[in-house]
Amino acid sequence: MSNVLLEVKDLKKYYKVPKGMLHAVDGVSFNLEKGKTLGIVGESGCGKTTIGRAILRLVEPTSGSVIFDGVDIPKLNKQEMRHMRRNMQLIFQDPFSSLNPRKTITQTIEEPIILANMIPDPDKRFMRVMELMDTVGLAERLVNTYPHELDGGRRQRIGIARALAMNPKFIICDEPVSALDVSIQAQILNLMKKIQREMGLTYIFITHNLAVVNHFSDDIVVMYLGRLIEKAPPETLFANPLHPYTQALLSAVPVPRIHNRPERLLLRGEITSPINPEPICRFANRCNYALPICSKEEPCLIEVEPDHFVACHIVKRG
Amino acid sequence: MEIKKINEQENTLEIKNLVIHYISDEEVVKAVNGVNIIIKAGKTLGLVGETGAGKTTTALSILNLVPEPQGKILSGEVLLQGRSVLSMSERELEVMRGDKVAMIFQDPMTSLNPVHTVGRQIAESIEIHRKVSKQQALKQAKEMLELVGIPSERSNEYPYQFSGGMKQRVDIAIALACSPDLLIADEPTTALDVTIQAQVLKLINELRQEYHMSMLMITHDLGIVAEVCDEVSIAYAGRIIEHGTLEDIFDHMRHPYTKGLFNALPDIGVKRSELKPIKGLMPDPTNLPSGCPFHPRCDYVMEVCSQSLPENKWLSETHCVECHLYKDTNESML
Amino acid sequence: MDETVQKYTTRKGFFKQYKKKSRLQETWNRFLRNKLAVIGLFIFVFIILAAVAAPLIANYDTDAIRVNVPSRLQSPSAKHIFGTDELGRDIMARIVHGARISLVVGCAAIAVALFIGGALGAIAGYSGGKIDDVIMRCMDVFLCLPDVLLALAIVAAFGTNLVNLTIAIGLAFTPKFSRVVRSAVMTVRGVEYVEAARTIGATNTQIITNHVLINCFGPIMVQVTLYVASAILTIAAMSFIGLGIQAPIPEWGNMLASGRVYMRDHAYIVMAPGLAIFLTILSLNLLGDGLRDALDPRLK
Repeated sequence: MSNVLLEVKDLKKYYKVPKGMLHAVDGVSFNLEKGKTLGIVGESGCGKTTIGRAILRLVEPTSGSVIFDGVDIPKLNKQEMRHMRRNMQLIFQDPFSSLNPRKTITQTIEEPIILANMIPDPDKRFMRVMELMDTVGLAERLVNTYPHELDGGRRQRIGIARALAMNPKFIICDEPVSALDVSIQAQILNLMKKIQREMGLTYIFITHNLAVVNHFSDDIVVMYLGRLIEKAPPETLFANPLHPYTQALLSAVPVPRIHNRPERLLLRGEITSPINPEPICRFANRCNYALPICSKEEPCLIEVEPDHFVACHIVKRG
Repeated sequence: MEIKKINEQENTLEIKNLVIHYISDEEVVKAVNGVNIIIKAGKTLGLVGETGAGKTTTALSILNLVPEPQGKILSGEVLLQGRSVLSMSERELEVMRGDKVAMIFQDPMTSLNPVHTVGRQIAESIEIHRKVSKQQALKQAKEMLELVGIPSERSNEYPYQFSGGMKQRVDIAIALACSPDLLIADEPTTALDVTIQAQVLKLINELRQEYHMSMLMITHDLGIVAEVCDEVSIAYAGRIIEHGTLEDIFDHMRHPYTKGLFNALPDIGVKRSELKPIKGLMPDPTNLPSGCPFHPRCDYVMEVCSQSLPENKWLSETHCVECHLYKDTNESML
Repeated sequence: MDETVQKYTTRKGFFKQYKKKSRLQETWNRFLRNKLAVIGLFIFVFIILAAVAAPLIANYDTDAIRVNVPSRLQSPSAKHIFGTDELGRDIMARIVHGARISLVVGCAAIAVALFIGGALGAIAGYSGGKIDDVIMRCMDVFLCLPDVLLALAIVAAFGTNLVNLTIAIGLAFTPKFSRVVRSAVMTVRGVEYVEAARTIGATNTQIITNHVLINCFGPIMVQVTLYVASAILTIAAMSFIGLGIQAPIPEWGNMLASGRVYMRDHAYIVMAPGLAIFLTILSLNLLGDGLRDALDPRLK
């Protein structure tokens, strides 16, 4: 059990909006072991981006605990939190807007090292920057270039180098390849896997792309409207998805094959509002298998088979 | 919408040797470098390519909307049902756009006017092209909304009241309002969630089958191509480097870039330890490589590849490829 | 790490190998392509040079200040290029010395406004919420009053010396700058690289100085040139009604005021200062517009 690096318990993030309370993340819990990758999948409005930010305290969680390496993150003060940040980093989705356009690559990668005062000597620091650039596959001649001179793939590599600069233990990757071309995506994903192996990193991989998360994760969490509705390792999840939403999600992915095309399960209706949600199954209005109980009670997350958790009334009944 | 009478002989769209460059003081962007496209009546062509392949520029040329003054059509023809688009007068173009050819764009957020109701925006197209009164146009607009799966009562609502998927449906309604012969869809589902994408693709499929519409589906997603298209053209650096039916491309792909694209895709059914990416970067359209534009990234590169452009070789009646590897092959060798 | 030590020498040596491509150079090139902006630049530089070289062109005491009644109201000639005014002083001498005053007071006033207004605007824009509301409502109160009136009120209360005038005009323009800086900061605040800076542990102050303000530079610079023009106009207006620079110190506004009565028969008396004001404002505006277009991040 001491292998667990991150323990998220009943994490909630609510926003106050004119119409009431917006439940962006509504009581999510999971454990993440050291060296593993957790994939968080869902569509827009499911809360996957918010939960990433909440774990890093870039937005303040409304309630719940985030225990990282034994330390309860939301309870730290400003000073302690800044120190803690060295261990937990974030790779952003948009390689265009996540880099300061007025700073060269070197300045961007160097900044975290300077802020943490890790290497006071400028020459040694510079060598560390070159080492990082080498790790992520950026040529040395790019040392003085600005982000706008480079393409998306290279910019994302800068983002990765910046995240690695402080030697973190844990990195949250928020849709790191969604904005890139297909042929470049594979390059970046392979790079991230390689770095994980070499540095013993732990990842949370947030994406809406199921094919990518299959390739990349050890365990997958499916979110819908702020709640965790299914959790299982990729082999189990893809072979035997239990929650109707997961089933629909998987079948909705366009398959690049013309033979043996899977049956398409289409959802009806639209996603309900995350503002002041009722304590019922939030997926009920779109579910093809909805029972009366689904509109009355909220289902809890239960372990249906080893390592496979689902929050669904139908599955409980077996 | 009226169901068109098909003239089986006629190709809805023919693009021949199109070359379009964007010329500015500092540089020349070679966006399109000799593109050949044929879309037969009632068929759907998938135009597949990544950034910089020249897909959007090609699509804009069909409507003669390539941005001027930088965009210069240096050579080539664009024939819509036999008529040359590039030599049409402004008036003829206005008649054609919306009526014969319609376009759906990638981002449903920005392609709708926020200050008009959706009903009005659909009706606008009808009013321009058909000689009907405002009320008649609005009535037809409501029918279009029902057709795309939106209750007609919502025709008085404004775009902000609709979700992304529904906005894209409204876009489709506007595009189809005058029963165009050719629908150009430029990455219509890229900005949508995957479950909504499935709904929209299903809708597009149903409509095109029911109304025998020809369609140009521009996408980078081979999964969408498998779902919706009859034929596929693979674009790279402003050229069509491979073309064929679905079977030709999915089962018998030939060009190294096409193979690379398939290998780089994580398939949801198969878990591999490492993806096989295509090495190198997308070519810079202001500084294209010599000879075959793909040669710096190609695993099968030969000396001739950096020296001359490969010619188009027909491997079968439907399947052609531009690659030096197949210069002297015939079908039996493959 | 040892390999790395051998591979790279010092940072400076490495940087020498790969020269930085300057954004400044690109911006300058874009600026040069705008013909009107270049004309504006030329005129403004000319005015600055004239102001700087004023003592060389004409002696302050003998030509600009000393009353010389016998040579009063002379038309432009070889000896007096713009003629002489009603007290016999060489108009050109007064114009070039007046340029010094206008430019110095104008720029100093805007510097004051930029400093105070900029700080307030940056804090308001970055903090948001109640702090933003409080600061902005205070600024709104001052924005309601026309610049000239506000400056007049201050000067009338505290006296009409140069320092007071500078401060008065500076304070009058402060609310305008606070708005400009605030909106620039707000645009940048939500950007991802600011969030990225927070993930690597930067404090709010570090973020504002290191990331936010650097990227606001462009729009702020443009406003500076435009507001300097406004400030110069305000000084002239205030001097015109007698509450700005006092006689006998030459200033374009008070030259217009005193020459007004002679306008009908001796037009040159007002044409010269009028033209000076016109050219200064025009050149600054063209410059500002050109800067705005050149700094426009069309390149992505």
